Amino acid sequence: MYDLIILGGGPAGAAAGVFAARKKIKTLLVTESFGGQSVIAAEIRNFIGFKSISGIELAKKLKEHLADQENIEIKDGVRVSKIEKSGTGFSVLTSQGESFETKTILIALGSRYRRLNVSGEDKFEGKGVFYCSTCDAPLMKGKTAGVIGGGNSGFGAAADLLPYASKIYVLEYSDILKADQITQEKIKNSGKAEIITMAEVSEISGGEFVSGLKYKDRRSGEVKEIKLDGVFVAIGYQPNSDLVKDLVELNPRGEIIINHQTQKTSCEGIWAAGDITDVLYKQINIAIGDATKAVLNIYEYLNKK
Amino acid sequence: MAKIKIYTTPTCPYCEMAKEYFQENNVGYEEYNVAEDDKARDEMIEKSQQMGVPVIDIDGKIIIGFNKPEIEKALKYV
Repeated sequence: MYDLIILGGGPAGAAAGVFAARKKIKTLLVTESFGGQSVIAAEIRNFIGFKSISGIELAKKLKEHLADQENIEIKDGVRVSKIEKSGTGFSVLTSQGESFETKTILIALGSRYRRLNVSGEDKFEGKGVFYCSTCDAPLMKGKTAGVIGGGNSGFGAAADLLPYASKIYVLEYSDILKADQITQEKIKNSGKAEIITMAEVSEISGGEFVSGLKYKDRRSGEVKEIKLDGVFVAIGYQPNSDLVKDLVELNPRGEIIINHQTQKTSCEGIWAAGDITDVLYKQINIAIGDATKAVLNIYEYLNKK
Repeated sequence: MAKIKIYTTPTCPYCEMAKEYFQENNVGYEEYNVAEDDKARDEMIEKSQQMGVPVIDIDGKIIIGFNKPEIEKALKYV
């Protein structure tokens, strides 16, 4: 029986692991991989203590820091398939058929790319529909690419495409571009980009690979078509809360509702931290702080028991 | 020893993770940068029927993405 099982190996999970180990809480950390979604960031410039660090470097640092702890067990490359309430706590089942008993759980499973949910998106995934611009932007060499989303991730994707694509469309649903001014200017001044606001994407089409997309101009109601070779979807994130939706209370966005003082969820014995929660700002620095809060509160809880 | 080809782009973190995995397990591989090498890019698209990286070819078994369980399975059967 563990005192604590931490689910997730992103910034929140790693921070929780370090704190739990130092408190000598009998802990198991289960994760599919280290780094979380920040791993795909080419450059992180606001992680305090580092002027600039890549997502992959950060993932390595997290893993190293955890590996340096003596009092923690780690299961890397393992997916949790189910969590069940048991007599004195919970059973955590993995996709490999293992089962672990624990008194408490900290959920730090983060979030993943939000999908557009339009016709053609599933069919053309990898065939011109992409979610990781740092990975796949180079495949657009000499081609026309579209970016869906006018926030920081959208303009970030456009920036990743700049050295490769011959033409870039950025489509934004609302009439406001939320990306930082500095990134917007870089894209606008490139001479390659066309930015279209009030655009509701309705269909991605093609033969074997993507060849175009349709969108509704929300000002005129007119449906327009763009010929392009790739679509990069960058419309934010959705929490990985499917696994726990029957255990803890979620808000309409699918985020776990927590007590912001303690990180407790609606289910006694379960805490949550990081981007999976209803914390207002999704930031690495915040995820780390919130996971720390959670472990300190779990420590008190275990001592009182 | 399995013959392993990995198709990558220079900025792709999952490519980096896959290469590190092979290095940690002392498995040799050939890397093809599809951002530069158009021939390798076409070969990758033909083999995997898609354009996302990484694509890993383990003795003809094609794996899309850094899918650790699939890679382990492919390595075990060679």
